[in-house]
Amino acid sequence: MFLNSVVLVLQEALEAALLISVLLVFSKHYQIKPRWVLVAIGLGTLGALIFALNMASVSEWFDYVGQEVINALIQLSILFLLVLLVLPLSINNPFKKPRANMLKSNFWIMAFMVLIVSLAITREGSEIFIYIGGVINQPSYVQPTLAGSGIGAGIGISAGVLIYYGLLGLPRNKVTVIGLCLLSLVGGNMASQAVLLLTQADWLPYSQILWDSGSQIPENSVIGHLLYALVGYEATPSLFQFSGYLFGVSMILIFWLLGKLISAPSTMALDAENTSY
Amino acid sequence: MIFKQACKLPVTVITFLGIALVSHYALAATPVIEIKIQNHLFLPETIEIPANTKVKLLINNLDPTAEEFESYELNREKVISGNRKAVIFIGPLPPGEYPFFGEFYPKTAQGKVVVIEP
Repeated sequence: MFLNSVVLVLQEALEAALLISVLLVFSKHYQIKPRWVLVAIGLGTLGALIFALNMASVSEWFDYVGQEVINALIQLSILFLLVLLVLPLSINNPFKKPRANMLKSNFWIMAFMVLIVSLAITREGSEIFIYIGGVINQPSYVQPTLAGSGIGAGIGISAGVLIYYGLLGLPRNKVTVIGLCLLSLVGGNMASQAVLLLTQADWLPYSQILWDSGSQIPENSVIGHLLYALVGYEATPSLFQFSGYLFGVSMILIFWLLGKLISAPSTMALDAENTSY
Repeated sequence: MIFKQACKLPVTVITFLGIALVSHYALAATPVIEIKIQNHLFLPETIEIPANTKVKLLINNLDPTAEEFESYELNREKVISGNRKAVIFIGPLPPGEYPFFGEFYPKTAQGKVVVIEP
């Protein structure tokens, strides 16, 4: 029970830790106080608790596939919010002279970050609550489960801290590029998982399996788990799942470029203003 | 010219998806396989399904605690609350063995789907 709890909680915590640490790096560069993360964790924990308490009823919606549909909806909402987030991130260049509208823009960046993290925690955390809720009535399981869950969460948080300081240690221009790449992978992962869930619910038709890398990197290996948390690794992805992944990644990159295009004239005007002084 | 062709693309994609969805739902009724979860065990532990056929797994959790059906080989994952039912669609699959387990009680909750040529 102990080892099982470590693996189960670590798996869920790693995904959230990666997302939170990347967003914290962005918020630091945009001079947004990190307090938002506490609000997001609080809201996410509350959301996870409510979701876990209602999981039995939710699962029976839509002819017993409500769980898949609601989880897919959460994942697609996270992708949508990530797309909305990269737009102001791209328009505002934190390394240039601050502009009057930057404060307003930073509010939206912070709001989107709060929503993204709280939705991610709602989804990941509900499973942990259900798991712990199940063993709490079995006295012999309580101690190993809680200890294992604590250690799993601890390793996940440590990984998040490592990613955070690892990213902060990079040169300024590389931080943005790598941070953006990581966000786009999270976006791709969200879309791919949503497609998988909707296929599981029979809301999307079956599509052929593109490859099988299970013998090289099994999904249940340590590397498999790490890759799943980091890039949404699947050993046997379907055509629709892979298309969903590419769609998620490209939406984030397209909206980043769109932001750059929108900000280009004003940045040029700002540069001209600066040089005239 | 290029613009006109570009405009036609979404229509073609939507038509293709429409045909795919209609043909998907027009297929014959999906076979249902029932599995029970009792004392953190899957009953039966082994289920046989025909190859290249979509199957609906109806899982009835008779335990008071929740369990999570998980299979890396089937690419499926679902929490099943205590004393509740759940539905998971699998396949169409090529012949072979596809293990699954209960993520909350993996030591005892083990099973496999055996896909056989009809």
